[in-house]
Amino acid sequence: MASVVSGTELMVRMGELATSAVVGEVLVTIGLGSCVGVALVDARRPIVGLAHVMLPESTGDADGHPVAKFADRGVPALAHAVKALGASRLEAVIVGGAQMFSFGGTDGANIGARNEAAVREQLDRLGIPIRAAATGGRKGRTVRVHVQGARVTVREIAGVEQELYGRGTL
Amino acid sequence: MTHYTDMQLDALRELANIGSGNAGTALSAMLGQPVDISVPAAQALPLANAVEAAGDPESPATGVVLPIFGDIDATVVLLFPPEDEATLCTLLGVQPGTEEGHSALGEIGNILGCSYVNSLAEMTGLTIEPRPPETVADMVGAILASVLAVRADSTNLALVMDSRLIVENQECELTFLLLPSLQGIDELLRRLGLA
Repeated sequence: MASVVSGTELMVRMGELATSAVVGEVLVTIGLGSCVGVALVDARRPIVGLAHVMLPESTGDADGHPVAKFADRGVPALAHAVKALGASRLEAVIVGGAQMFSFGGTDGANIGARNEAAVREQLDRLGIPIRAAATGGRKGRTVRVHVQGARVTVREIAGVEQELYGRGTL
Repeated sequence: MTHYTDMQLDALRELANIGSGNAGTALSAMLGQPVDISVPAAQALPLANAVEAAGDPESPATGVVLPIFGDIDATVVLLFPPEDEATLCTLLGVQPGTEEGHSALGEIGNILGCSYVNSLAEMTGLTIEPRPPETVADMVGAILASVLAVRADSTNLALVMDSRLIVENQECELTFLLLPSLQGIDELLRRLGLA
């Protein structure tokens, strides 16, 4: 699970997921390269979750792997965790899936793109609409998911923090 | 094998020590300056921790990445924080932040990576070769996570062999990581008689 780092920020590292319904808390994933950050928010209430997915598919033996490492386990696990906090109508924002290097994967395929495709498929299966996406490209991204207003922001290394999704004062 | 004994980690650390020593010698020749090395440890870390092993994940760095293949699969990663990158470029007589500067770092990465890999091959009798390096400027966390993800499907551990090369008198440091695959670690240990 995620760990508290400073004040109200909860770090979600590779393969981890976290949820919050505490206004003022922010779920953070730093340095998404080929990994995909999946944010789930309740359409009305201040309940959010964030998973840091590394790979598209688990290869059978799920034991000993962090819960959100594979999209096919992490996305359903995140949805389950957010619902456990009382969320009902879920919406998603996805970030990451960049291709930083041209090598990658046993079949040479672009892991970032495969992660994005796998996450989209999982969300589709769960009937969760994707409201915003900042994916692909070649740059790393940091994503912040604020409980307050279900605000999701993205920042690249030399860039300005941009709001991808938010509900104002809700 | 997903658990390593102290003896195995010590032996791997020693490999890293010798490899970096050779890389340090090569860097010193390139710069015409004395270069020190320090090898903190060889550590087997869960992936999430491995990303943090080289420093603050959000901090910027130029990373030069060399995939190695042959008898073992591994990746060599060199990380240059911005000020150290600037110092190195100046020492080489090129402008940092330009394409020439970027390319000079790639060249340093290539030479250091190859000398590290060659000394590994010599010490262990392995036949290994590097692929052409790729250079990116981004967050340390994004660079490392993207490298680690490539081989993460069957394991949660990364063996991080982390060295610092310090250019004396210049306050300039770069981080040098060797990240072998699981089979690569087993093969290295086998060659060292410690499997």
